[in-house]
Amino acid sequence: MFIIPKEKEVPLGCITPAPVTEQTMMITGNWREYRPVIDQEKCNLCMNCIVYCPDACWQLNEAEDEVVWNAKYCKGCLICVNECTTEALSKAYELDFEDGVVRLEKPF
Amino acid sequence: MAKEMVLSGCAASAQAAKMAKVEVICSYPIRPYTALMMELAKMVANGELDAEFIYGEGEHAQLSVVLGASAAGARVLTGSSGVGVTYAFETYSPIAGGRVPVQMMIADRALDPPGDFGSEHTDAMSCRDQGWLMGWAENPQEAFDNCLINYRVGEDHRVLLPQFVCQDGYFVSHIPGKVLLPDQSQVDEFLPPYTLPHPLDPKHPVSHGPQIRPDQGTIMDLQRAQAHLDAPAVIKEAIADFNRIFGRDYSPFVEEYMTDDAEMAFFIMGAHTMTARHAIKHLRSQGVKIGLVKLRFVRPWPTQEVAEALSKFKAVGVVETSTSYGGAMRGGNLLHEVRASLYDLPKRPLTTSFMAGLGGEMVPLKEFYYMADILSEMIKDGKAKKTVYWVGFEAEA
Amino acid sequence: MAVAVKTQNLPLIKKIRNIPREEYYVPGHRTCAGCGPALQYKLVAKAAGPNTIFLGPTGCMYVANASYLCTPYRVPWMHTQITNGGAVASGVEAAYQVLIRKGKREGELPNVIVMAGDGGSVDIGLQAMSAMMYRNHDALFVCYDNEAYANTGIQTSPTTPYGANTTFTPPGPAIPEGKKLFPKDPPQLVIGGHPAVKYVATASVAYPVDLMNKVRKALNVQGPTFLHIHAPCPKGWKFNESKTVEIAKLAIQTGMWILYEWENGEYKYQHKPREYKPVREYMKLQGRFAHLQEAHIAKMQAFVDAKLKAPGIPVAVPAPPPRAQA
Repeated sequence: MFIIPKEKEVPLGCITPAPVTEQTMMITGNWREYRPVIDQEKCNLCMNCIVYCPDACWQLNEAEDEVVWNAKYCKGCLICVNECTTEALSKAYELDFEDGVVRLEKPF
Repeated sequence: MAKEMVLSGCAASAQAAKMAKVEVICSYPIRPYTALMMELAKMVANGELDAEFIYGEGEHAQLSVVLGASAAGARVLTGSSGVGVTYAFETYSPIAGGRVPVQMMIADRALDPPGDFGSEHTDAMSCRDQGWLMGWAENPQEAFDNCLINYRVGEDHRVLLPQFVCQDGYFVSHIPGKVLLPDQSQVDEFLPPYTLPHPLDPKHPVSHGPQIRPDQGTIMDLQRAQAHLDAPAVIKEAIADFNRIFGRDYSPFVEEYMTDDAEMAFFIMGAHTMTARHAIKHLRSQGVKIGLVKLRFVRPWPTQEVAEALSKFKAVGVVETSTSYGGAMRGGNLLHEVRASLYDLPKRPLTTSFMAGLGGEMVPLKEFYYMADILSEMIKDGKAKKTVYWVGFEAEA
Repeated sequence: MAVAVKTQNLPLIKKIRNIPREEYYVPGHRTCAGCGPALQYKLVAKAAGPNTIFLGPTGCMYVANASYLCTPYRVPWMHTQITNGGAVASGVEAAYQVLIRKGKREGELPNVIVMAGDGGSVDIGLQAMSAMMYRNHDALFVCYDNEAYANTGIQTSPTTPYGANTTFTPPGPAIPEGKKLFPKDPPQLVIGGHPAVKYVATASVAYPVDLMNKVRKALNVQGPTFLHIHAPCPKGWKFNESKTVEIAKLAIQTGMWILYEWENGEYKYQHKPREYKPVREYMKLQGRFAHLQEAHIAKMQAFVDAKLKAPGIPVAVPAPPPRAQA
C-alpha cells in the first residue's frame, strides 16, 4: 500500500466532478488590473456585456431588469466596456476599490 | 450445448467477441489480424451480432474510436498487427491511464523494415509498459478463452485496465485448431455485463482527464502500478471461475509441461510452445530431462510464479521472439524479466536466451534440440557462456 | 434494426434578449483575459444545452480550461489527444447508438460535439475529423480557429494567415514577411469531400446570435456537421484583450472572414458588409502583422479579393495583382 498526501490525491483515472454554476477551484477575480463599473441609469439591457463575456461574468438579475457583475471570476479583459452600446460601462483601476484585488497574494 | 469446431485463431477470437456481446468494433485492415475483423463483419452483416462496426481510418483511429465508445459505456473490441500496433502507440497510455478497459487483439507481425508478413512478438512487446494487461495464446482455443478472461479481468472495477490479447500471426491466427465453443449461458455466467464507474453520460456529468500538476503525475502512475498489483488476485479468481464453468485446468500465470524431474527447461510463450512440447517429448525419449514453462501473462509479470517455477531447474533457456536492441542481454525482452525474477533466490538456475522465430521464421524441432544441447552444456560447464544465441546463425555450433 | 435518432428541434434564437440564461461553460477557467476561443465555447455550450457531451482535443481549450483537476464544463467532457477528436467522438456516438438500441441508455441521443482548435481540426486532427464525417456519425465538429498553435506559444498552423509573425515564422532579413504560405480553408475542405455532411457554417464571436443559431441548426441535423468559428486570440495576435470582439467584427468588415452557411449544397451569407474595408484596417490593430511592408499588405489584399470574388461577393477595394506565391 502507498501513502498519498491529501494535496496530491487524484481521482481514479483522473475523472473529476463537473461543476454546476461555477468552478471554485479556479477563481480568477484576482487577475484584474481594471474592473468594469456600471451606471445602471444608462444601461438599456442591450445584453452585449452578457453575451460577449468569455467568462460569463455578466448575468441578468432574477427580475431581469439589471445586469449583475461577477467580481469573483472577472479577469478584467474589459470586452464588456468596449462593446457597451450606451456607455453605461466604464473601467476603473482595481486598487481604487476597498475590496480591490490585492494582486499576487494568491496567484491562482 | 458446448460444441467443438475447427477454427483459426482469428475466427476463434471473433467467436469469443460475439459471445462476449461486444457492442462497438473498430477495424482497419492489416495482415494477419484482419481476418478477425472479416469474421466480425460477416456476423454483423448476418445479424448474428448486434454491434456497431466502425471502419477506422487507421490504427490510431481504431484505438481512439474504442476509447470513446468504452468511455461512453459500451464493450469494445479492436485489433491490429505489426506496424499497425506501433502506429497507434500514442493512444495506449491515455487509455490505460484513463482506466478505460478496451480490448485489443494483436495477431503479431514483424515490424518494418522492410515489409515482412511473418509473426514476431516485437510489435506488441514494444507496447508492454503502457499499463495494459498482456499475454499470448498458444492456440486458437486459448485465443478464444483469453478474450473472455481478459474482458472479465480488465473490466473488473478493482482493475479497470485495457488488454492486449495477443496471438502469434499465422501460426495461431491462421492455422485452424480445435476450439470448444461453450454455451452462451456459460459465457454469461462467467462474464458480467460491462459497466464503468463514471461513463460519459449527460445525466451524470463528469470530466475525463483534466490536467494535473506535475507533482500529481506520480499519483497517476501509482494508480496504474497499483492496478497491476491488484490484478493478479482478480486473474486468479477469474481463472478459477473459468476452469469451473468451462471445465478447463488453466493455471493463472505459468503452465508447466514435463517439469517434474526436469533439470532444464524452456521458458516460452505463444505458438512455438506447441513445437517445443513435441521436441520435449522426443528429447525425453532420448533420456534428456527437459520440460517447459509457458508464460500466460507478460503484464502483470508474475514474478513470484516465474521464480517458483524456474528455481527447481539447473538451466533455463528463454525462447525470445522479440528484439531488445542494445539491451542488457543483447537479445530479446524476456530474459531481462526472467533474470530479474530470479535475482532474489538463494539458488538460481543458469539462464540464457535464444533468438528464435523472428521475422516469422518457424522454429523447427531441430532448433529446440540445438537449444537443449546448449542447456546441457551449460549444466556440464556450470555456467552460461553467453546471454543470447541467435539460433541458426551462431558461428560455433 | 432500430436506430437511435435525435428528435430534438432546438429552437432558433430570434433576438439577443432571448438567449438562454443557463451557462454550461461556467466561470472559473484559466483562459487568458479576453480569450476568443473561451467566448465561443461559452456560446456553443449555451446553444447546445444540457444533453451534450464535449470531446476536447489538446489545445488551448484543453490546457487552459481543464486545469489542475477541475474543468468549467457542466456537461460531460473528455480530453482526447490533439490527433483524434473526430475518432473519439465517433466512438462515443457509436456507443450511444448501440446502447440506446439495446435499451441500456434512455432518452435522446446526446449532442456529441468535438471542440478542436485549428491544429486539432485541419492539421494533425484532419484525418480523424474527415473520417468522422465520411462515416456519417451524428456529431458536430467545431473548429475554433485562433489561427495558431497558441497554447504552445503561438506557432504557425495551417490556418495562420499569410504574413503573421509566429514563433515558427519570425520575420527577419531573409524572410521579411514572416509567414510566407497562405492558409487552408477548413469549411471548403469539409464541403468538398464529405457527401455525408449536410450542414457546414462559419461563425464569429462577433455575432453571437448567429453563432448560437448555427450551433442549433447543426445539432438539429441528423449526421455530421461542421462549424468553423473565428476566435481572435489577444496573446497570439498581439492586440489589447478588450478588442477581441472588435477585431472579430473587423475581420468580417474587411473580408478576412466570411460568414456563411452551406446547407444541402446551397450557400447563404450572413452579415455581409455593403462595402468592404481594406484589410489594412484589420491588420494594423494586430502586432502579428506589425512588421509587414506595403507590398505584403497588398499581397494579402489580393488574396482576400480573390477569395471574396469566388463565392460571388463584389470587391469594393481595388487590389494589386497577387505576386508570385512563395
